[in-house]
Amino acid sequence: MTRLTVDIDLNRVEGDLEFQLDLEDGVVVDARCIGTLYRGFEQIMIGRAPRDSLVITPRVCGICGTAHLYAATLALEQIAGIAPPAHAVHVRNLCLMAETLQSDLRQTFLFFTPDFCNPLYAGHSLASEVTAAFAPLKGSVVRGCLKSTRELIGIVAIFGGQWPHSTYMLPGGITQPANARRLLETREILADVRDWFEQAVIGGDLDEWLALDGGPALFRWMAASPTRAGSALGLFNRFARDIGLHKLGTGTGHLLSYGVNQRPDGSGSELAAGFFNADTQRVEALDHLQINEHVRHSWFLDYPGGRHPWAGETIPDHQPGSDRYTWAKAPRYGDKVVQTGPLAELRIAGEALITDLLNSEGDNTWLRQFARLRRAGWLLNSLVDTTDRLKAVIDEAHFIDPKIGVWPDGESYGLVEAARGALGHWIRIRNGVIEKYQIVTPTAWNASPRDSSGRHGHWEQSIIGLPVADPENPVEIGHIVRSHDPCLVCTVHFIGSHKKTHFNV
Amino acid sequence: MPNIVWIQTGACSGDSMALLCADQPSIENLLQRHGLRLLWHPSLTTDARFGQILDALLGGREKLDILCIEGSLITGPNNTGQYDSWKGRAKIDIVRELAPLATHVVAMGTCAAFGGVHAAGPNPTDCTGLQFLKGEAGGLLGADWRARSGQPVINVAGCPAHPNTMTKVLAMLAADDTLKLDGLNRPLAFFSSLVHQGCTRNEYHEYDIEDEVLGGRGCMFFSLGCRGPQTLAPCNTELWNGHNSKTRAGVPCFGCTAPDFPSNRDLFVTPKIGAVPKFLPLGVARAKFMAYKNLARAAAPERVVNREMEP
Repeated sequence: MTRLTVDIDLNRVEGDLEFQLDLEDGVVVDARCIGTLYRGFEQIMIGRAPRDSLVITPRVCGICGTAHLYAATLALEQIAGIAPPAHAVHVRNLCLMAETLQSDLRQTFLFFTPDFCNPLYAGHSLASEVTAAFAPLKGSVVRGCLKSTRELIGIVAIFGGQWPHSTYMLPGGITQPANARRLLETREILADVRDWFEQAVIGGDLDEWLALDGGPALFRWMAASPTRAGSALGLFNRFARDIGLHKLGTGTGHLLSYGVNQRPDGSGSELAAGFFNADTQRVEALDHLQINEHVRHSWFLDYPGGRHPWAGETIPDHQPGSDRYTWAKAPRYGDKVVQTGPLAELRIAGEALITDLLNSEGDNTWLRQFARLRRAGWLLNSLVDTTDRLKAVIDEAHFIDPKIGVWPDGESYGLVEAARGALGHWIRIRNGVIEKYQIVTPTAWNASPRDSSGRHGHWEQSIIGLPVADPENPVEIGHIVRSHDPCLVCTVHFIGSHKKTHFNV
Repeated sequence: MPNIVWIQTGACSGDSMALLCADQPSIENLLQRHGLRLLWHPSLTTDARFGQILDALLGGREKLDILCIEGSLITGPNNTGQYDSWKGRAKIDIVRELAPLATHVVAMGTCAAFGGVHAAGPNPTDCTGLQFLKGEAGGLLGADWRARSGQPVINVAGCPAHPNTMTKVLAMLAADDTLKLDGLNRPLAFFSSLVHQGCTRNEYHEYDIEDEVLGGRGCMFFSLGCRGPQTLAPCNTELWNGHNSKTRAGVPCFGCTAPDFPSNRDLFVTPKIGAVPKFLPLGVARAKFMAYKNLARAAAPERVVNREMEP
């Protein structure tokens, strides 16, 4: 038996990611997720005026700043008992869903599919088609994706001024109302993106594709015409399944979603929030008090077990050379390791195709990435529906001044679905200023280290047990990790403690 | 063919995301029409790994024409830089090694220029900009540091930097244009006019029709923290994402291209002396400003007083 510890650094994710793997006879027997960055946002918030969170926290993440803005706004509205008008809720949802859609498309075609052009696959029968479509910054689908996402994110600018990093949501509403011009421009953009999605991504009619309710129906539909089979999705499915990505990278089965497209009347979301318990195969109602964070393997001042974010602490305590290997905490739902993201969203909401595929093949690399494109299609329709709802209330108020001079003392939270899944902000206000601010990002869930009971996080689980054919070019690890849509800038604050063999994907 | 090496330090990826939004020129056209080669970008390149690129640059096998840094330069904890590392090496050490090799060094965004949001009080990671910490010259490389071109670090400030400012600066450098810089080393071609210039709320400002509450149509300078009349940036002379700007959309300008961004005071409140902002439009004398405002308010037409105009 040979035991080898290897460090991997991985690009084409958001931020920097390093993994440390223990290999025995070529099989991964342990994995430690190692990021590289700690920025101290939680300390920066302390003592600031509560509304400053609307300017500061979107800057946690350049990719999902709209989601942070939304979560921060909800937390402030909750603490002061403010109900925003429907007009504002629809605009917020439009912007958040536009941000998520651009992220899904860019992640797929700028970060995930470039791996298909790896020299390892040069002899594959689809290699020339794959290169023509997916070659980095040059492939036809890649160029179309850049153009379409650039146009799409204009929706956030129309309502919020710019993307990334604006502050157009406020407790009580939004800064600028929708009007007929803005609505028309938004609909034009959505129609253009839909045209591209139908022509280049799925090679067919969106509604027809969204109506497919099971794996066999999906594969029949994709194979039924050369346009569909040769589309980006057709190529992705054929290539990914041919190289076995549907049998690779199973992580935790427990799923978490905070719900997509929240209704203005407070009656929930279009895609329902919830916790999918893999042990019972049932969706349970979401209870934020179940959320707790461990620091047993993290470089923070220690405390026993897990703590709810309101009771949490983020005090860095760098301890190189110990069994701690991370700047990130390990969030758990009760005692469960969960994954979050489009797969979780769609399964928890009971979407037929994803539910069928998850039942028949389990969680895997192909399915996580496919779910991201499935959600993209769903979002395209939901965005248009939201413009209809917005149009119906366009003459109503977009902002109701909550008339708050001094913010009330108390605790609150705001939960939204960011592109990568469940994002929560928990705050405490004392004497009119922020006393505590804790953020649990989607990547904190997915990329978590071991907890105080030694349970590995989702990404770590998805790699343990994997045979690595060539430790010098472990392309399978790149596929698995990128299918999780890592966003390291948010959250993963790890530092590696050993330096042995280095390789890279 | 000039190459670009783009390194993220203490960053949120916002400048990289903004780069993908540029359309005049776009990132893909920057590479295909303007003759630039993207040798390394953490999110976008595929051909090589960072260690190989680093070895090639340090070993002189690859020249370094344009080094772009995105993110604050994190020196903590205890000056080790280990809050931000690559394979155990502090990123600040990598930046210190590469900077002397570069013909041009460009700070993409306020973090790399001045420290930015991560340097806000209490600056928990002890971070700084490349040649400034907030408004104070010095930073990671020191005030006297110069790139091989003879220029200091070019500060493309903004949080994030304006998409088209980033790509235009890169295209100008590729064409060997000399960029004139202001006192904070920001390229004057983009940082000589105020955010106020081109704001569609200007008629309200002109007649002193000021909003007290967010969500309205009026000017946000007197009460709502807007720093548009003090902030040098292209936001209203070259719109964002082809559509809009924060101030047009009713979001106060927080001065994100300035070295003190984000300021330590309440960001939605304008500090005042009496009824007048403590900080006036850039270069204006207080007595004259007050006389002008009194006259302006008296001259305000009804349609402006009644806020009939949508910004």
